[in-house]
Amino acid sequence: MNYTSLFHFTHFQAFLFFAAVISVAFGFLGRRQPKDRVKYILWSFLLFLVVGIGIAWAMYPFSR
Amino acid sequence: MTEQSAPIVPVPEAPVPARKESASAASENRAWAVAVAGWLVPGLGHALQRMWGRAFVVFVAVGLLVIAGASMRGNVFTSNGNDAFDTLGYIADLGTGCFYFLARFMERTGADVSHAGGDYGTRFLATAGVLNLLAALHAFEAARGRKA
Repeated sequence: MNYTSLFHFTHFQAFLFFAAVISVAFGFLGRRQPKDRVKYILWSFLLFLVVGIGIAWAMYPFSR
Repeated sequence: MTEQSAPIVPVPEAPVPARKESASAASENRAWAVAVAGWLVPGLGHALQRMWGRAFVVFVAVGLLVIAGASMRGNVFTSNGNDAFDTLGYIADLGTGCFYFLARFMERTGADVSHAGGDYGTRFLATAGVLNLLAALHAFEAARGRKA
């Protein structure tokens, strides 16, 4: 079986996948109550997006 | 105004009962066993403490990252590293416990880090290992009675 065909991500999809998985894991490990977990997961995911896209734009002038 | 302090009288410490001491040692041993179990099988450390939600999420998160990383042809480091970075990568990859062998099994075509996908895959694998080590530490602390 060719396992390399399992996941085909663009850069942005890989970024979203990473942010989602880590946010959910941190949310469950860091908080106990379901409501707190959901808030933590959403907040963490949002911060991943904002910081990641912010760093990408900050590097844009030096990319070529 | 001066304060007169009362003479300090040493209070003899109460002897710790042997039964309490052995129970504490047993609890410490159990915490270490939980940590090792959590490292070897992601989520098992929490499952042993009936933290089912955390166990499931850790297992799925580490598993997804390993499968994604290996299928994106990320680098699964081995013990024959050439430099310190390879050794660090090996330690991080080993953090995934039994999933390390799954990654090695899936990596039959070899790593390809000449493309961004392979490079992302390498990071996914290392993150999975570090995440699992963090989860094992969390399970260890919970087993020792810390609020988790």
